[in-house]
Amino acid sequence: MNTQEIAKALAAAAKQFPLLGEIHEQDLLDVVKWELGHEGVLDDFQPYAGHWTMATGPAAILHIISGNTPHAGLQSLMRGLLLKSRNFCKIPSAGLPEIGQFRDALPEELQSHVEISTDLPAQWIEQCGAIIVFGDDDTVDHFRWLARENHHFIAHGHKISFGIIFDDTAYESIPHAARDASLYDQQGCLSPHVFYVDESTGLNAHKYASLLAFEMEKFNQGNPRAQIGAQEAAEITGVRADYEFRSANSGDVDIWKSATGTDWTVIFDKDPTFSASCLNRVIFVKPLAKNFEESVAAARSHLSTIALWPSTPANARRVRGTGASRICRIGRMQEPRFTWHQDGGQNLAPLVRWIDWEE
Amino acid sequence: MSSTYAELESRVLDLLARGDLSEQDFENCALEIYRFQKERNQPYDNYCRHIGAQVDLKSWKEIPAVPQAAFKQFPLRTFPENETVKTFQTSGTTGEGFGSHHFCSVRLYDESILRGWDFFKLPVLPQIILTPSTAQAPHSSLSHMMGTLKQRAANARQHFCVEDTGGLQIEKIRTLIRESITPLLVMGTALSFLHLFEKGETPALPAGSFALETGGYKGSGREMDKAALYSLFTRHLGLAPENVINEYGMTELTSQFYTHGLGNPHQGTPWLRTLVINPETGMEVVVGETGVLRIFDLANVGSVIAIQTRDLAVRLEQGFELIGRDPAALPRGCSRAADEMLTRTTIPQ
Repeated sequence: MNTQEIAKALAAAAKQFPLLGEIHEQDLLDVVKWELGHEGVLDDFQPYAGHWTMATGPAAILHIISGNTPHAGLQSLMRGLLLKSRNFCKIPSAGLPEIGQFRDALPEELQSHVEISTDLPAQWIEQCGAIIVFGDDDTVDHFRWLARENHHFIAHGHKISFGIIFDDTAYESIPHAARDASLYDQQGCLSPHVFYVDESTGLNAHKYASLLAFEMEKFNQGNPRAQIGAQEAAEITGVRADYEFRSANSGDVDIWKSATGTDWTVIFDKDPTFSASCLNRVIFVKPLAKNFEESVAAARSHLSTIALWPSTPANARRVRGTGASRICRIGRMQEPRFTWHQDGGQNLAPLVRWIDWEE
Repeated sequence: MSSTYAELESRVLDLLARGDLSEQDFENCALEIYRFQKERNQPYDNYCRHIGAQVDLKSWKEIPAVPQAAFKQFPLRTFPENETVKTFQTSGTTGEGFGSHHFCSVRLYDESILRGWDFFKLPVLPQIILTPSTAQAPHSSLSHMMGTLKQRAANARQHFCVEDTGGLQIEKIRTLIRESITPLLVMGTALSFLHLFEKGETPALPAGSFALETGGYKGSGREMDKAALYSLFTRHLGLAPENVINEYGMTELTSQFYTHGLGNPHQGTPWLRTLVINPETGMEVVVGETGVLRIFDLANVGSVIAIQTRDLAVRLEQGFELIGRDPAALPRGCSRAADEMLTRTTIPQ
């Protein structure tokens, strides 16, 4: 199959997976064109600065896919298929049905390019030319240790994200913020930990938090959080108790929580210093500081996405120096376009090898 | 008007000395201390009011427990600040500072350590200590405990073996072990023992010796399964797991829990009680189930009697099996959880 045929097949399969958002054949071809210069460059030699060149993907790519972000795993697999590589998908032991379902939705020829396993067959490491890892730092370290010198090694490790509400007179962003904070139970690298509210525009962060709590409950009723273990629940009740104690002793803190269980928690904290959530739908709301960049400095090295309301060019320019590699609208945090630069880098270009031809 | 600190201290000291206090003794004393603390400890009273806790409770189990983190944010004391004679500090977290446990007297603290040692019939042997001394670490409750235990060292023979710079005095430790003709007790944190084991050959301890290990691996970025740790005690010190004692305590408490070997429950002294709480429901779990540990310590008269930990434990008929805080059970996705970022824990000094 040539690139166009592959793109067509991938777009058709992707239609069955709403979590991927809208992906058209041309979107996929555009990625090839923007990253590699020509949409046919993976099929044959193309003109290049007075000579010819073509790109080839690795013979095989090993994808280490995290259990709670199928979206990222599917995007990685699609890229591997676009590069005409064989794709070894190591999924978590608990399984990740979306990967198998996506393979089944592909034409037979592409299906044969996808192998899925909850184990890590020894030959996968031997045969692959690239390893792409999604997961926590321990997972990344483990596979970095397994990787050989000749492997392309790409790690998408721990990341954090947050949102900023610059202006929202009708508080219209709140249902979208609740959705962003709840999807994937906040365990994706695009999940927000904090929503900052710019009170200089007349907004009130405390009010925003109380309204967000209402929407968190509403979202939870339609989309209950997954079951969590005792340790995760203990972390949530621990954080809740900490903030309840503070709330009892200071007007600077307030907390809202699900009526029963640990389903969701909203914490208002006047201190604008970035707070990392213990995840599983625990979200902070804070006022935006004048020295905003300073208050989020601790998050800088791990920053992925900043969501904005409204997502205007002016607001994007205000936050582009914070270290984030993606800026989007609140409500779209969990659904990056296929064309995004994941972690600020290109996705196809680092994986290909070029073959130049001079007539 | 509730009792004074002196009255309650005296009452608890009596109970510690008796050692056989009944359920009713515990109940009465715990509720009296609660009333006293609610009256004298303003942040705690605010919290009790916030969650709707009344002054008069029916059972010690209803006493509101304070999260450990509150010790970082508020001075939880039942006496005026200028009466403070001792402050122990917890491990710190960047940005939050250290937790502080203040005391207007250490009589209860010291008595609880010594009476607890006697209650569990722990070994009275010459001691080698792998933690800083009280002079080196005046704000460490662990160092204070070790220093106090000199009163339970055979012939008051106790050697602290840590340099002022923090490193272990390896040669001194080896010499003390090599030259000893009687059994020894070596005490330290699990991390300090690991450091000792990594420094090469240590002479096996004389027969009848014990080790006491406590604490985890905070600040080291390391963790180790307890069975693996205890196999190192066997390999490096010649100690069977049964001869390794684990102490479970925390700066926010005054008393300690102990167990020994592998697979045995932790047990507290008669002046301690625990509840294992289901974090989803807030109710006590049934025997055999896992939850978070809540501790009630009668000796905590000067601060707060009930402490809510984040440690997991299995409720047993007698005592509990400590699981601790298991980072492996926390979210494993690519979102960076609070525990793993922005924080750098340090060993208390």
